[in-house]
Formats: sequence, C-alpha cells, structure tokens
Amino acid sequence: MNVTIVDYGMGNINSVCSALNYIGVNNINISYDFNTLKNSDKLILPGVGAFNQAMKSIKERNIDVYLKELVLNNKTPILGICLGMQLLGKSSSEGGFSEGLGFVNANVMRFKNNNLIVPHVGFNQVKINSKSKLYSGFEDDEADFYFTHSYRMMSDENINQSSCLYDEDFIASFELDNIAGTQFHPELSQHNGLKLLSNFIKKI
Amino acid sequence: MLRKRIIFTLIYDQNHFMLSRNFRLQKVGNLKWLEKNYKFQEIAFSLDELIVLNASRDKKSIEEFSLMINGLVKNVFIPIAAGGGIKSVKDAELLFKNGADKIVVNSLLIENPTIIKDLVNKYGSQSVVASIDYKKTSNNIEIYINNGNLKIDLSLEEYINYISELNVGEIYLNSIDKDGTGFGYDLETIKQIQSKITIPLIIAGGAGNEIHLIEGIKQKGVSAVATANLYNFMGDGLSNARNKIIKNGDNIANWNVHKRDI
Repeated sequence: MNVTIVDYGMGNINSVCSALNYIGVNNINISYDFNTLKNSDKLILPGVGAFNQAMKSIKERNIDVYLKELVLNNKTPILGICLGMQLLGKSSSEGGFSEGLGFVNANVMRFKNNNLIVPHVGFNQVKINSKSKLYSGFEDDEADFYFTHSYRMMSDENINQSSCLYDEDFIASFELDNIAGTQFHPELSQHNGLKLLSNFIKKI
Repeated sequence: MLRKRIIFTLIYDQNHFMLSRNFRLQKVGNLKWLEKNYKFQEIAFSLDELIVLNASRDKKSIEEFSLMINGLVKNVFIPIAAGGGIKSVKDAELLFKNGADKIVVNSLLIENPTIIKDLVNKYGSQSVVASIDYKKTSNNIEIYINNGNLKIDLSLEEYINYISELNVGEIYLNSIDKDGTGFGYDLETIKQIQSKITIPLIIAGGAGNEIHLIEGIKQKGVSAVATANLYNFMGDGLSNARNKIIKNGDNIANWNVHKRDI
C-alpha cells in the first residue's frame, strides 16, 4: 500500500503520517511530484490555514491539474482532511470568495450565527451515514471526532454526507465513490479516527 | 453536541518535565522517565488534548524544545499545542513541523502583536492559543507576562478585548495563585468573565481531582479544563477521572472504538 500525502506546504503533516504508520501503512510519501502522486494507491489532502492561501499554493505547484487527472480520470481514492476536505468543494468565502478544486458540489461559508463561539473546537458527535464506508465497523449511529474550524461545508446534493450539529447542521464528512473528506481530524480523534483512516485505506 | 475537553499541560524546562506551584518549578523527570513511569502514550488515550509549555526561565531554545515535541508526539493521536518562548513566525513553524497542531503564545501578545497577526494569517485562528497569566489582589486582577514576572497595565477585561482583536482561536486562562495548589479552579473569576469571551476558553490552575474538573466543565462559558498536576493525574488518575465524569453525565467525548478493532 502506497499512500501519498499531498504536500502544498501547509499544515502539520506529522500527525497524519504518525497515524498512518500506526494503522500499518509502511509506504508513506509526502510529495507533490506528479509521478509520485500517480503511483500512489491513495491520496490524502491535509490542511490547516486559510482556504485562499491554500488554493494559491496548490495552483503554484500545479497540484490542481494533477489531482483532476488522477482523482477524476484515474479514480485514485482521495481523502481530504479539514481544510483539505473544503478544498475539494466548489468555493469558500474565507478570505474573500475563492474557487476550490470543485470535485464535489458543495460550498464553504462561515458559521451563520454571529453569537456563536467560533472556532468550533473539540470533540463533537457525528451522525453517521450508514452508507459511508468510512464508518464501517462503527456500531453506534453517532461517534465523537475532533473538530477545529471556523468555516463549514454545505451542499444541496446527496454526497453521502454525515452531519454534525453546532448551532446548525453542517457536513462532517462526505464520500462520493473515490472522493471522500472529513471536516474533523481523524488523525487527532483517538481510536475513532484511526479506525476511520484504516477504513479509508482498506475500503475506499 | 460539542463536548467539553480535558487537557493535560506538560511543563518543560531544559530536557525535564516540571511540577509548578505558583509558577515556582520543581524538576520531576525527563521524556524517558515520563514514558517509563507513566506510559504517556497510554495516558494520552484518556485525554482530549495536550499542551506542552516551555517554562524555562533561562534563554529558551526553540530547537531543543521542538526536538522534544517531535519525540513526544509519536503515537499520540490528539491535538498538541506547544508554546513558551515563541518570538517569530519561524519559531512557530519549527514547532508545527515537529508535530504541534497549535501554538501557545503569551508574552508575544504584548511584545509584538504584528507577529501574532502574521501567525493567524498563516496558520488560521484555530492554530493560535493565547495564554493569560493572572494574579488576584484584594480588589483587583493583575495580568502578567514573562513567566509571571512582568505586570502589564490592563484589566482582565481590557486584555481579553485586546486579545480578541488579534483574532486568536482560543484563550488559556491560568491563575498564578491557584497554579499547582490542587485547591480547585478560580471559579469566581471564571464566572465573572466567561460571558465576555467569544472564542473557546480553556481554564487552568488549581485542579487537584476530578471534582475540580467537573466544577470547571459545568461552567457554561468554559470549553476545556486543563491540569498540569503530574502526580495526581498520571498513572490511572486520568482514565479514572474520565470515567467518573462520564458516569456523572457530564458532556465529554466517549470514544467507542477501541484499539483491538482497528
């Protein structure tokens, strides 16, 4: 199993690597080289930071072109984490309007309620969509995962989303064939997160 | 529902972990000692989050501190915030590269707010925790920076407003009087200011047992309760406290998938 963490220069990649190692992935690359990405069985798009800056770094490195080829044409499985998930959507209003990679029909905006404590930080319950393979083996219909974000993703379409409630329901994860994303950080979510990562590696 | 968090704060000084009482430090052991005696990676499975603070009173080496973080984070799958002595974006970058998910800033909030803004722009609000150290006098609350050595001329409320305008993601509110005492959190101050804070509030200083953690968790405006009390909460202390808190019906995360299932 060959997993590449797409490196666009942002975020703590350390904890994702460490989690992959723990669940038994031996071959982990951190790269944005096209051939490395192409030869990977799975891709992970991590991320912390601001959406517009992340898109800028992605375009500077041609990663948007590579991912379109690999994810949309070759159907290589990809998991976007936190900002990485948001980048798979169509747009975000963070730092002004920016276009995302557009792999799923979903948009990212700030939490609506101005009186809400933001960022949304901590473990929160995800209402599990039983059709999502990310959660296979989870026995309950809810599970706790670690979130830390100020913007959230919404979609009018069925993208196999699982939701989370923080003043409003937003997308905690989605899974559309080979394209998956989690707003929460599985690598920071104890055994629940390790299990989810392991499901992504083994089942998607 | 968003859960409340239990955070452990490790206090570090030149290759050793420390106990702190009213900001006076006492050496307890190094990373090997921590791993050997407390099986730290196991304990981390009872925690929501970990904060590691470099409290060295001498010149703080970010390089050495980062290396320690790098060793500490292995097989720890919770968010780790690190701080103490961050003076530049480069310092923060080194910590992020070595496994920190967030950084904690204190003196820099006053010394160089421009750098705080740069950090927020680069890493996002959610990656920057502002730490406030305070002392109570008979009729006042005094704010301190530089390891509790330098008093600044702002009231707690003014300081919170000042910090909020820098767009940081969380506040770590630490009572110097209660630090390391095990007498419980300074609930009086927390009750006074919690409604004035619009970002997540972590409270620290004074927790000695799970009753104190519960008292903190029950405060409406408190997002997380922190303790740095190595002796009281290490070993089985934390997992027992966690179980008691869950049994008590308080709103903390319950991880239902276990090691054997992965």
